[in-house]
Amino acid sequence: MRHRWFVPVLILILTLASLPASVHAQQRVLTGAVNRSEDGAPLSDAVVTLAGRSAGAKTDGRGRFTLVLPDGPARIVVRAIGYKRQNVPIGADQAEVTITMIQDVFNLEEVVITGQATEMEQRNSTTSTAVVDGQDISQVQAQSLDRALQGRIAGANIQTNSGAPGAGVQVQIRGPHTIIGNAEPLIVVDGVIYSNATIPSGLSSVTGSSSNLARADAQDDGTNRLADLNPNDIESIEVLKSAAAGSIYGSKAANGVVIIHTKRGTAGQVHANLSQRVGFSSLLRGPGFRVFDTTQAFALFDSNLVRSYLVNGQLPAYDHLQALAGDKPLSYESQLDVSGGGEKTRFFASGSWKRDNGIIGNTGAQRQTLRANITQQLTRTLTMDLTTAFARNANDKGFTNNDNSGASVTYALAYIPSFLPLKRANGIYPQPEIGYFGANPLQTAALATNNETAIRFTGGGRLSWNTWTGERQSLRFVAAGGADFVNQKNKIIAPPELTFEQTLPNPGTITLGAADGRNLNWNLNAIHSYTPESQGFRLTTSLGVQYEDRQLSRNRITATGILPGQTSVSQGAVVSNPIEERSSERTLAFYAAEEALALSERLSLVGSVRGERSSVLGDPSKYWFYPRLAGAYRFPGLLGTGSEFKLRLAYGQTGNQPLFGQKFTSLVGGQTYGGGGGVTVSTIAGLAGIKPERVKEWEGGVDAEFFGGRTSFQLTLARNITSDLLLSRTPSASSGFTAEFLNGGHMRNVSLELAAGFVPIQSRDFRWVARTTFTHLRNTVLDLPVPGYRPSTAGFGLAFGEFFIEPGRSATQIIGTVGYDSLGNPITKVLGDANPDFQLTLANDFNWKNLSVSMLWAWQQGGVAQNQTLSLYDCNQLSPDQGTAAGQARANACLQDGVATPFVQSTTFLKLRELSLVWSLPSRWVHRLFAGADNARIGLTGRNLLVFTDYFGYDPESSNFGSQSITRNIDLGPYPPSRNFSLNVSVGF
Amino acid sequence: MMPTTLISGARRGAWLALVATGLLAGCGDFNITDPNNPTLDDLVKNPTKAKLAVAATGLFIGARSDATDVIWRYGSLGREGANLAGNNQPDYQEPFFGPLSTTQFGAAVWSGRYQNLRSLNTYLNAVPRAPDLSAEERAASIGFARTLKALAFLPLVAGRGALGAPVDVDRPLKATPAPFVSEDSVYGYIIGELDAARDSLAAGGSAFPFRMPPGFAGFDTPAGLILVNRALAAKAWVFRATATPSCAGTCYANALLALSQSFISGNPADFRVGAYFDYSNKPGDILNELSETLDGTTYFAFNNTIDDAQLQPGGAVDQRALDKLAFIDSNDTTVTYTLSGFPVAPNRKFAVYFTGGQPDQNASIPIIRDEELVLLRAEANIGLSNYAAAIPDLDLVRVNAGGLPATTLTAGSPASAFIDELLYNRRYSLLWEQGARWVDARRYGRLSGIPALVPNGAVPSRMPIPADECAARKLGTSCNPLGT
Repeated sequence: MRHRWFVPVLILILTLASLPASVHAQQRVLTGAVNRSEDGAPLSDAVVTLAGRSAGAKTDGRGRFTLVLPDGPARIVVRAIGYKRQNVPIGADQAEVTITMIQDVFNLEEVVITGQATEMEQRNSTTSTAVVDGQDISQVQAQSLDRALQGRIAGANIQTNSGAPGAGVQVQIRGPHTIIGNAEPLIVVDGVIYSNATIPSGLSSVTGSSSNLARADAQDDGTNRLADLNPNDIESIEVLKSAAAGSIYGSKAANGVVIIHTKRGTAGQVHANLSQRVGFSSLLRGPGFRVFDTTQAFALFDSNLVRSYLVNGQLPAYDHLQALAGDKPLSYESQLDVSGGGEKTRFFASGSWKRDNGIIGNTGAQRQTLRANITQQLTRTLTMDLTTAFARNANDKGFTNNDNSGASVTYALAYIPSFLPLKRANGIYPQPEIGYFGANPLQTAALATNNETAIRFTGGGRLSWNTWTGERQSLRFVAAGGADFVNQKNKIIAPPELTFEQTLPNPGTITLGAADGRNLNWNLNAIHSYTPESQGFRLTTSLGVQYEDRQLSRNRITATGILPGQTSVSQGAVVSNPIEERSSERTLAFYAAEEALALSERLSLVGSVRGERSSVLGDPSKYWFYPRLAGAYRFPGLLGTGSEFKLRLAYGQTGNQPLFGQKFTSLVGGQTYGGGGGVTVSTIAGLAGIKPERVKEWEGGVDAEFFGGRTSFQLTLARNITSDLLLSRTPSASSGFTAEFLNGGHMRNVSLELAAGFVPIQSRDFRWVARTTFTHLRNTVLDLPVPGYRPSTAGFGLAFGEFFIEPGRSATQIIGTVGYDSLGNPITKVLGDANPDFQLTLANDFNWKNLSVSMLWAWQQGGVAQNQTLSLYDCNQLSPDQGTAAGQARANACLQDGVATPFVQSTTFLKLRELSLVWSLPSRWVHRLFAGADNARIGLTGRNLLVFTDYFGYDPESSNFGSQSITRNIDLGPYPPSRNFSLNVSVGF
Repeated sequence: MMPTTLISGARRGAWLALVATGLLAGCGDFNITDPNNPTLDDLVKNPTKAKLAVAATGLFIGARSDATDVIWRYGSLGREGANLAGNNQPDYQEPFFGPLSTTQFGAAVWSGRYQNLRSLNTYLNAVPRAPDLSAEERAASIGFARTLKALAFLPLVAGRGALGAPVDVDRPLKATPAPFVSEDSVYGYIIGELDAARDSLAAGGSAFPFRMPPGFAGFDTPAGLILVNRALAAKAWVFRATATPSCAGTCYANALLALSQSFISGNPADFRVGAYFDYSNKPGDILNELSETLDGTTYFAFNNTIDDAQLQPGGAVDQRALDKLAFIDSNDTTVTYTLSGFPVAPNRKFAVYFTGGQPDQNASIPIIRDEELVLLRAEANIGLSNYAAAIPDLDLVRVNAGGLPATTLTAGSPASAFIDELLYNRRYSLLWEQGARWVDARRYGRLSGIPALVPNGAVPSRMPIPADECAARKLGTSCNPLGT
């Protein structure tokens, strides 16, 4: 009596909930067991279905299942995460079966999402997908998840902004899609939109990096809040690179979507895992220093002054960087997790504590996390998931990056000749007589504070109701929602004793900042699937609605003239620069999708459209539509038995919302005159009708798997064009505005991505798995409705190289002065493109019995950076090679010629990003060493162990302006990079 | 019968729509207004007396925004002094060696003025809509804002001369930029605004519906502001006369009429009476950066102010030069200031904005004051060849401000001698207040009389049109739209 659910809603719900499953007269029962091939252990949570049906049974903790089969011969399909699917024929009389599952080395069987609540097996997927296993990213310790993803995703350029503990990381997928808009991918953790905001610390209040607030904020080397997520809690990460895959997220997805699933408990025995890591870091590389003889020193500095530094008639050479960042501090991490569950309840709970100390004294990052994930089968058709996560994340980053006051230690270092002593003597740090605002970086590192503490709570719930499952149709409702709260506090203290503070009218500066963010989102989906009698195809229709509410507010205040020894902002003589900023954004979207799987699951087609409105747009009631159409066709067996070959083609659109406030023309307050407050019209005109940027992308590719699953290959070519770019134009000055926002122009990215895997050796005792990713990207600005222009964070003048955006060129090109014409006007030339020619990574995993060795190499070819660390050293004639012709030529470029050529340097590098050696202890040892334990592993791991590059100074990957769509690759006194080593012990109970 | 799937699909859609509608009730408002700043939109659409009072204070802030730029930039061009601040090479390169770039030194005294004009026009558009303003308060507000509009244009056109300027700038951002009009038309526009403002102020009742700042003490009622309004009108008429010689008769006569309706006093004790821009160290306010300590490294005065000064009966130089300059300790040899290799020695600083002989960054900067009005009256009389009427005014300033003996000029002296005397007094009376020496030199075709002071130096004749203004009109980065 299925038609009964046509009557009103409430009756419908109640009725359907009470409907019995349809039972057929002719049936039989199959029982079976599912085991793992690697050790023969039972496999829980494997899904067993009758071929062609979506509903089936799951194995229990002992790997057992029971499935109802129709009479006659049948075929069952067994699937489990991390294993290859098995297609098993069942004889007409067979009542029992044992199935052995083989590991899926390249994650080809992983399901990939196709909608808010729908997914598809990767072999049918219509777009290029990158799925990373939690195990891969937690093997070698990383400070944050995004760092751990470096080198693992073809098409993604993941770059750290500096080497500081808790430094920002930026992820760019398939090139820049915007010039001044949001450049970050959307992050979704267990269905909750997770804030990855970077909230500036206010460091600029002491470094004076810029008088423009936005430019100053960008130079604070802020932490992006993805750092609050514990990588050890992650089950898998899926990166939606294409606009087709991302279109379900509409105007948040232009920069890609990162979907993170945290671990769930599996039915069966309760497992506990305790792991402990201890390690240390050391300086990876730095600029070196110039050793002076007296002749050279006399030529540069006052001779009497130089003489005063002679020691036994010689000028000493102190390695100031070593004194500053030569520590080998310890780091620790402890994690305990427990997971398990029964038929109805499954859980995963974890707690962790870690501390990574930085190579500069008094710097470091620590994080404490707690997580509880619970899955509850409420009724036979109703499942509830709850996730809660708490994190406290604190870091001390010290004073680095661009500087105009002497605060930044790495900046000031470039001004101090090696013969000046800096170390504390008789309790006093000497004030360098040659230097930058009298700053002594060792004193700054010892006494200054740049602390940030974030408290994070993320919670989500999901209710899944299999309303009705029939022979040919099923209907499911999924409701999900979540909340993400973050509270960040920043404290910057530059005590009055600091020698550079002494040069200020009111020595001693404290900045106190606080911020809190709240993201709420929910979605509701109805998914209907239909298979006709002929079983020739399967259709899945989904309809949904999604709502998001994001709020962020921050405030900050600075006091100068701090009393000695005081750390409260109220202990200052002059209070200045109060800042309070709030942003608020609401988005509502409806979407509809149709998926078809036909021709024996060879053809898959996906079509969807999302319509959404958002409060940040000019017309908050207007709906914007983001469609997608994608298809793939499989040729099973084309490359040999069991092989897979697939062609896919996808088209999709996504958007990028304008930043909050870009639609308003403000009146600027906070100003007084004659004792009264006043407002003036802002010099920046908002765009009342502001539109989202729109990315349209075509993507095509080939996926293949052959040699019995030992080789996999994914090749993708994508071409995306952003239209309605958010831009800023300079109107006529007599209009009274200096800048105006507008939408317009086009920018294109063409990307070639390859992800391949190969198992050269696979034997009982030894397995070697090699994986590689290759990314090549070309960006071109097609047209602009404004003249070519210099973005606000383009650099520090054409004589040092600057970004410049103009039609027909890459948006990330760097131009600079190469000479001057007869009238003295600079001649500029393109000096390179920040975007590399290609990035190639190679990961090798070797497993021999209980021992495994893995390494990850990353090679970046080409690309350039503005190396202003180099220009600082050269302009001050303090580079180590200053005595040579090459060194002198660079000094001349800065001091006499005013040309940028030497300071725009190639960022080609080869890095050994990860190396690990893990030994699983034999069980007899485990029992002897750890009472009650089942297994134990000991690992030696290292990150950033080797770098081969001609790049001068610190790290070819650094960004003075933090996360930027275009103006990355500006290196100006960053926190030095470090190598990290650690010893891990992990014990399972 | 329809296939069940179709029917159920339709019903399911209806069902979902119903649930969705219920959930939408839980959505917040999508019309989010700016939580951080007041918006222009709100001021124009929903003005109130309180909002407009704050906007009125903002108009003073806007009017003051580049007041110090006018002084040191025009002052550098007139060799009153120089800005030698470390990093800002264009600031001491361009005015001394030329040419003036359209993006650096030469781009100043333009955008800030038009930004305030945007604020002024916004205010003027909002005032008539404010429901809680009386008719008199509206008239007072309009008269006040139109007076400030004129004030915005005065130093701008004084610096650009024949290049002219756009005046009809109250137009949407999307519209084509306002056309350039001639120098004479800019003065005509200024005078038109001032006259209209006077009429509004006259109907403006007894008080402004906002707070007048201390610098307008004595002129802080509508009737009081008319006195300042007329003083500015007199200045505009006098400057228009030199820009447009054919207007001389009318212009100077109108100047004299306006002066008679201004706050001109003729009493030396009132020389400093006038309208001023205020500065303070209160939160949110700005300091008078021109008031620098003697060891400050930004602003320096040139010796020629002393060298060119006439002598007092006792042999001392013009008292104005003595009062307005301060010696830096000449024994301090640690720092030598040079202008592209040319030493600035002996080192002198300005004491114009000192209080009681000490630097005072709260010191006010004059907008227009009595001493200038006396000289404007002298100038108008000279222009009308009423030399006999000009002599007492010249002497009033010479003797009382400069400590100099009375002029030897007689009613029969040649016009050029009167102009020499007038410009000498304007140079010393208005030193480091508005770049009078340079502006006057151009007005009277005497730029060649200003020494370059540096080898291969040059004295640029006028400020250029900024690059942003030219570029928005598709005229490149350097332009002269009127071809003058």
